[in-house]
Amino acid sequence: MKESIYHPLFILLLIVLSFMLLVCLIRAVKGPRVADRLMAVNMMGTMVMVMISILALLLREGYLVDICLIYAMISFLSVVVISKVYIGIYEEQHHYQEDAEGGNADECS
Amino acid sequence: MSAVEWIRLIIGCLFILVGMVIFFTELFGVFHFNYVLNRMHAAAMGDTLGISACLIGLMIFSGLNFTTLKMFLIIVFLWFASPVSSHVLSRLEAATNDNLSSHCEIYEDVETLERELAAAGKDGDTEKKEASVS
Repeated sequence: MKESIYHPLFILLLIVLSFMLLVCLIRAVKGPRVADRLMAVNMMGTMVMVMISILALLLREGYLVDICLIYAMISFLSVVVISKVYIGIYEEQHHYQEDAEGGNADECS
Repeated sequence: MSAVEWIRLIIGCLFILVGMVIFFTELFGVFHFNYVLNRMHAAAMGDTLGISACLIGLMIFSGLNFTTLKMFLIIVFLWFASPVSSHVLSRLEAATNDNLSSHCEIYEDVETLERELAAAGKDGDTEKKEASVS
Protein backbone atom coordinates (compact mmCIF):
# COMPACT_ATOMS: atom_id res chain seq x y z
CA MET A 1 0.00 0.00 0.00
CA LYS A 2 2.74 2.40 1.02
CA GLU A 3 4.92 1.55 -1.99
CA SER A 4 2.04 2.05 -4.40
CA ILE A 5 1.67 5.66 -3.24
CA TYR A 6 5.32 6.72 -3.03
CA HIS A 7 6.54 5.16 -6.29
CA PRO A 8 4.30 7.08 -8.75
CA LEU A 9 4.81 10.27 -6.72
CA PHE A 10 8.59 10.06 -7.05
CA ILE A 11 8.37 9.23 -10.76
CA LEU A 12 6.09 12.24 -11.30
CA LEU A 13 8.49 14.51 -9.40
CA LEU A 14 11.42 13.25 -11.47
CA ILE A 15 9.55 13.95 -14.72
CA VAL A 16 8.64 17.50 -13.63
CA LEU A 17 12.21 18.18 -12.51
CA SER A 18 13.66 16.95 -15.80
CA PHE A 19 11.41 19.33 -17.73
CA MET A 20 12.60 22.19 -15.50
CA LEU A 21 16.17 21.06 -16.20
CA LEU A 22 15.55 21.36 -19.94
CA VAL A 23 14.25 24.92 -19.47
CA CYS A 24 17.42 25.73 -17.50
CA LEU A 25 19.46 24.35 -20.38
CA ILE A 26 17.63 26.71 -22.77
CA ARG A 27 18.68 29.61 -20.53
CA ALA A 28 22.27 28.38 -20.54
CA VAL A 29 22.32 28.22 -24.33
CA LYS A 30 20.51 31.56 -24.83
CA GLY A 31 22.29 33.55 -22.12
CA PRO A 32 23.99 36.52 -23.74
CA ARG A 33 26.73 36.82 -21.11
CA VAL A 34 29.05 34.41 -19.36
CA ALA A 35 27.47 35.12 -15.97
CA ASP A 36 24.10 34.04 -17.41
CA ARG A 37 25.44 30.66 -18.44
CA LEU A 38 27.21 30.09 -15.13
CA MET A 39 24.03 31.00 -13.26
CA ALA A 40 22.01 28.54 -15.36
CA VAL A 41 24.58 25.81 -14.66
CA ASN A 42 24.29 26.58 -10.94
CA MET A 43 20.49 26.25 -11.14
CA MET A 44 20.81 22.95 -13.00
CA GLY A 45 23.13 21.72 -10.25
CA THR A 46 20.50 22.52 -7.63
CA MET A 47 17.79 20.64 -9.50
CA VAL A 48 20.05 17.64 -10.09
CA MET A 49 20.71 17.56 -6.33
CA VAL A 50 16.97 17.25 -5.66
CA MET A 51 16.74 14.54 -8.34
CA ILE A 52 19.57 12.54 -6.75
CA SER A 53 17.90 12.78 -3.33
CA ILE A 54 14.60 11.56 -4.78
CA LEU A 55 16.44 8.67 -6.45
CA ALA A 56 18.05 7.79 -3.12
CA LEU A 57 14.63 7.34 -1.56
CA LEU A 58 13.15 5.68 -4.66
CA LEU A 59 15.89 3.06 -4.98
CA ARG A 60 16.33 2.74 -1.19
CA GLU A 61 20.06 3.38 -1.51
CA GLY A 62 21.19 5.71 1.26
CA TYR A 63 24.67 6.28 -0.12
CA LEU A 64 23.27 8.23 -3.09
CA VAL A 65 22.79 11.15 -0.68
CA ASP A 66 26.57 11.15 -0.11
CA ILE A 67 26.99 11.60 -3.85
CA CYS A 68 24.52 14.48 -3.65
CA LEU A 69 26.63 16.16 -0.97
CA ILE A 70 29.78 15.78 -3.06
CA TYR A 71 27.86 17.09 -6.09
CA ALA A 72 26.92 20.22 -4.09
CA MET A 73 30.56 20.83 -3.13
CA ILE A 74 31.90 20.31 -6.66
CA SER A 75 29.17 22.51 -8.16
CA PHE A 76 30.03 25.34 -5.74
CA LEU A 77 33.75 24.91 -6.41
CA SER A 78 33.27 24.95 -10.18
CA VAL A 79 31.28 28.18 -10.12
CA VAL A 80 33.85 29.94 -7.93
CA VAL A 81 36.86 28.69 -9.89
CA ILE A 82 35.41 29.44 -13.34
CA SER A 83 34.40 32.95 -12.22
CA LYS A 84 37.86 33.69 -10.84
CA VAL A 85 39.60 32.29 -13.93
CA TYR A 86 37.36 34.31 -16.24
CA ILE A 87 37.97 37.53 -14.28
CA GLY A 88 41.71 36.85 -14.44
CA ILE A 89 41.67 36.23 -18.19
CA TYR A 90 39.59 39.35 -18.82
CA GLU A 91 41.87 41.58 -16.78
CA GLU A 92 44.95 40.11 -18.42
CA GLN A 93 43.61 40.86 -21.90
CA HIS A 94 42.58 44.34 -20.77
CA HIS A 95 46.08 45.06 -19.44
CA TYR A 96 47.68 43.76 -22.62
CA GLN A 97 45.49 46.03 -24.71
CA GLU A 98 46.24 49.02 -22.49
CA ASP A 99 49.96 48.26 -22.63
CA ALA A 100 49.83 47.99 -26.41
CA GLU A 101 47.93 51.27 -26.72
CA GLY A 102 50.26 52.99 -24.27
CA GLY A 103 53.30 51.68 -26.15
CA ASN A 104 51.92 52.96 -29.45
CA ALA A 105 51.18 56.35 -27.96
CA ASP A 106 54.72 56.57 -26.60
CA GLU A 107 56.14 55.67 -29.97
CA CYS A 108 53.97 58.26 -31.71
CA SER A 109 54.93 60.98 -29.29
CA MET B 1 -1.57 2.38 6.43
CA SER B 2 -1.89 4.07 9.79
CA ALA B 3 -2.97 7.63 10.43
CA VAL B 4 0.56 8.77 11.27
CA GLU B 5 1.84 7.65 7.89
CA TRP B 6 -0.98 9.46 6.11
CA ILE B 7 -0.09 12.63 8.01
CA ARG B 8 3.60 12.19 7.09
CA LEU B 9 2.67 11.70 3.44
CA ILE B 10 0.48 14.81 3.37
CA ILE B 11 2.99 17.08 5.13
CA GLY B 12 5.86 15.82 2.97
CA CYS B 13 3.84 16.33 -0.21
CA LEU B 14 3.01 19.85 0.95
CA PHE B 15 6.69 20.70 1.44
CA ILE B 16 7.67 19.22 -1.92
CA LEU B 17 4.84 21.11 -3.60
CA VAL B 18 6.13 24.36 -2.09
CA GLY B 19 9.61 23.50 -3.36
CA MET B 20 8.33 22.83 -6.87
CA VAL B 21 6.40 26.12 -6.89
CA ILE B 22 9.57 27.93 -5.84
CA PHE B 23 11.57 26.21 -8.60
CA PHE B 24 8.89 27.22 -11.10
CA THR B 25 9.03 30.83 -9.83
CA GLU B 26 12.79 30.73 -10.20
CA LEU B 27 12.52 29.62 -13.83
CA PHE B 28 9.83 32.24 -14.55
CA GLY B 29 12.00 34.98 -13.03
CA VAL B 30 15.06 33.86 -14.96
CA PHE B 31 13.17 34.23 -18.24
CA HIS B 32 11.23 37.33 -17.20
CA PHE B 33 14.01 39.74 -16.23
CA ASN B 34 16.29 41.13 -18.91
CA TYR B 35 19.67 41.53 -17.24
CA VAL B 36 21.98 39.15 -15.41
CA LEU B 37 22.08 41.01 -12.13
CA ASN B 38 18.27 41.00 -12.03
CA ARG B 39 18.05 37.34 -13.00
CA MET B 40 20.52 36.41 -10.29
CA HIS B 41 18.00 37.48 -7.66
CA ALA B 42 15.50 34.93 -8.94
CA ALA B 43 18.12 32.24 -9.40
CA ALA B 44 19.57 32.54 -5.91
CA MET B 45 16.14 32.00 -4.37
CA GLY B 46 15.83 28.45 -5.70
CA ASP B 47 19.32 27.56 -4.52
CA THR B 48 18.45 28.06 -0.86
CA LEU B 49 14.69 28.13 -0.36
CA GLY B 50 13.66 25.73 -3.13
CA ILE B 51 16.09 22.96 -2.31
CA SER B 52 15.42 23.44 1.42
CA ALA B 53 11.69 22.90 0.96
CA CYS B 54 12.18 19.88 -1.33
CA LEU B 55 14.72 18.23 0.96
CA ILE B 56 12.64 18.86 4.10
CA GLY B 57 9.77 17.09 2.35
CA LEU B 58 12.05 14.18 1.45
CA MET B 59 13.37 14.13 5.03
CA ILE B 60 9.82 13.73 6.32
CA PHE B 61 9.31 10.85 3.86
CA SER B 62 12.58 9.23 4.86
CA GLY B 63 11.98 9.11 8.60
CA LEU B 64 14.65 9.26 11.29
CA ASN B 65 17.91 7.78 9.97
CA PHE B 66 21.29 8.72 8.56
CA THR B 67 19.86 9.68 5.16
CA THR B 68 17.89 12.43 6.89
CA LEU B 69 21.03 13.70 8.58
CA LYS B 70 22.93 13.84 5.28
CA MET B 71 20.06 15.72 3.63
CA PHE B 72 20.14 18.24 6.47
CA LEU B 73 23.89 18.59 5.89
CA ILE B 74 23.23 19.38 2.20
CA ILE B 75 20.77 22.12 3.19
CA VAL B 76 23.24 23.66 5.65
CA PHE B 77 26.05 23.51 3.08
CA LEU B 78 23.92 25.25 0.45
CA TRP B 79 22.94 27.98 2.90
CA PHE B 80 26.61 28.86 3.13
CA ALA B 81 27.63 28.16 -0.46
CA SER B 82 24.83 29.77 -2.45
CA PRO B 83 25.33 33.41 -1.30
CA VAL B 84 29.06 33.07 -1.90
CA SER B 85 28.59 31.79 -5.44
CA SER B 86 26.04 34.52 -6.16
CA HIS B 87 28.50 37.12 -4.92
CA VAL B 88 31.30 35.71 -7.06
CA LEU B 89 29.02 35.65 -10.12
CA SER B 90 27.98 39.26 -9.64
CA ARG B 91 31.62 40.27 -9.23
CA LEU B 92 32.36 38.47 -12.51
CA GLU B 93 29.57 40.43 -14.21
CA ALA B 94 30.66 43.75 -12.71
CA ALA B 95 34.33 43.18 -13.59
CA THR B 96 33.84 42.09 -17.19
CA ASN B 97 30.98 44.31 -18.35
CA ASP B 98 32.34 47.47 -19.97
CA ASN B 99 29.02 49.32 -20.24
CA LEU B 100 27.58 48.39 -16.89
CA SER B 101 26.37 51.94 -16.33
CA SER B 102 23.69 51.52 -19.02
CA HIS B 103 22.03 48.83 -16.87
CA CYS B 104 22.35 50.23 -13.37
CA GLU B 105 23.49 53.28 -11.45
CA ILE B 106 27.20 53.27 -10.62
CA TYR B 107 29.10 55.39 -8.11
CA GLU B 108 32.80 55.84 -8.88
CA ASP B 109 33.83 55.87 -5.22
CA VAL B 110 32.11 54.90 -2.01
CA GLU B 111 32.38 58.40 -0.52
CA THR B 112 29.93 59.90 -3.04
CA LEU B 113 27.35 57.26 -2.26
CA GLU B 114 27.82 57.69 1.48
CA ARG B 115 27.51 61.46 1.19
CA GLU B 116 24.30 61.13 -0.80
CA LEU B 117 22.88 58.63 1.65
CA ALA B 118 23.78 60.84 4.63
CA ALA B 119 22.23 63.88 2.95
CA ALA B 120 19.08 61.91 2.20
CA GLY B 121 18.95 60.67 5.78
CA LYS B 122 19.41 64.12 7.37
CA ASP B 123 16.74 65.87 5.35
CA GLY B 124 13.14 65.48 6.37
CA ASP B 125 11.88 65.16 2.81
CA THR B 126 13.59 61.87 1.97
CA GLU B 127 10.77 60.75 -0.24
CA LYS B 128 10.98 63.84 -2.41
CA LYS B 129 14.68 63.33 -3.08
CA GLU B 130 14.24 59.68 -3.90
CA ALA B 131 11.39 60.54 -6.22
CA SER B 132 13.52 63.16 -7.98
CA VAL B 133 16.42 60.70 -8.31
CA SER B 134 14.28 57.97 -9.78
